Amino acid sequence: MRPSGSALVAARLSLVMVIALTFQLAIAPRIELFGVHGDLMLLIAIAAGLTAGPERGATIGFVVGLVYDLSLPMPLGLSALTFALMAYAVGYLQDSVLRAAWWIPVVTAAAASAFGVILYGVFATMVGQDLVSPSLLKVALVVAFLNALAAPVVVPVMRWATASGSGVRSRSVYR
Amino acid sequence: MAVSRRRGGRSRLIVALLVLTSLTLLTLDFRDSVLVRQARDAAGSVFSPLKGVGEAVSAPFSNAWRGITGFGDVQSENDRLRERVAELEGQEVLNAAAAQQMLELTAQLDLEWIGAIETVRARVVAGSASNFAETIDISKGSRDGIKVGMPVVNGAGLVGKVVQVNARRCTVQLITDPEFAVGIRFLNGVTGTARGQGRGKDLIVDTRLAPGGADVPEVGAAMTTSGIDKSVFPENIPVAKVKETKEAGGGLTLNLVVSPMADTEKLAFVTVLLWSSGL
Repeated sequence: MRPSGSALVAARLSLVMVIALTFQLAIAPRIELFGVHGDLMLLIAIAAGLTAGPERGATIGFVVGLVYDLSLPMPLGLSALTFALMAYAVGYLQDSVLRAAWWIPVVTAAAASAFGVILYGVFATMVGQDLVSPSLLKVALVVAFLNALAAPVVVPVMRWATASGSGVRSRSVYR
Repeated sequence: MAVSRRRGGRSRLIVALLVLTSLTLLTLDFRDSVLVRQARDAAGSVFSPLKGVGEAVSAPFSNAWRGITGFGDVQSENDRLRERVAELEGQEVLNAAAAQQMLELTAQLDLEWIGAIETVRARVVAGSASNFAETIDISKGSRDGIKVGMPVVNGAGLVGKVVQVNARRCTVQLITDPEFAVGIRFLNGVTGTARGQGRGKDLIVDTRLAPGGADVPEVGAAMTTSGIDKSVFPENIPVAKVKETKEAGGGLTLNLVVSPMADTEKLAFVTVLLWSSGL
């Protein structure tokens, strides 16, 4: 018996999330630029918005953020909130403005990553973590650059993971 | 048109629900809810093997890369360290005798001394996965008697405190983390609170000292943990040295910029003090 479309999507997303989390926890801290490393989990959420649209993207972003939050000694719900909003915003823009060209997801990933880092810093400061400082801008720019490098791999992977396979085509990025 | 409007309304409803759920989680975490603690513990036991697998896979590549890029540095550092080890071996004999005397005296006076606290030595296995949390993961956990809140040191001084514990590993918040604070005391009895300012940055000590006062610590003065009543740390762990003084509170008080004794960017091994504040 073949698994249903949504079960297959859930299985693929879980697999991608486990691999991404393993990379983020164990490998990303070793690949630094100016003392900052990329944020693959944020990129996964942004790619979910790009490939699955605002609604599903926001939900996937929320789950990815929640899993990431549970692995960090930071307030629970902070990444979930940021990632859900970023995925929704990217999905909304993708719906209304963006057209498929190879460079658009890369630029979107870079801009959304920088904005996502700043949004996280602002939310963290609102709950007493005091992260808004000049170094937040440095982190945002380096994460944007590193995530843009990873986007040509991550976006197609998320396109595969979020494709329902029931005749509904996923979003037209990297076609 | 109507379909699009309905879809837009549904999207906004979903986002509103996700935002509300996030805010609820933040509130529960802020209130240190048992549910959140249990969820973190459960997640920790799942993620811990994942980290181990990732490190095992990536270690040969990152070691090779470090070997290629840092061979010259490693060789000269090795020479320096050999010389230092020889020097310290001589001092160790004297220190051991002094430590024994100290232990006997503190036992007689019923005082607590850091040298008498049981310790666990651990290897640093990973840095922080987040760009905002200054943490390290170390290779020992609750199986070795480590609990949340225990102080972590190295040969130079205070490194941080344990913030998450799994069976075989734990996460240590470093003294440079912006959320880290420790009560300190200078040799002349002046006390204050040292706070982390982020990666690679010095700590700031808030004091109630007046600028130009006789009791202002000089540049280079060392400070240790104060260990005052209900402190998270035992007393007399070296913390930092004064680098410069800055006026604060409109020129009424002084803030001290202090350099940590322990180099938190080059940690290979650390020691966990199996000490709990009893709070």
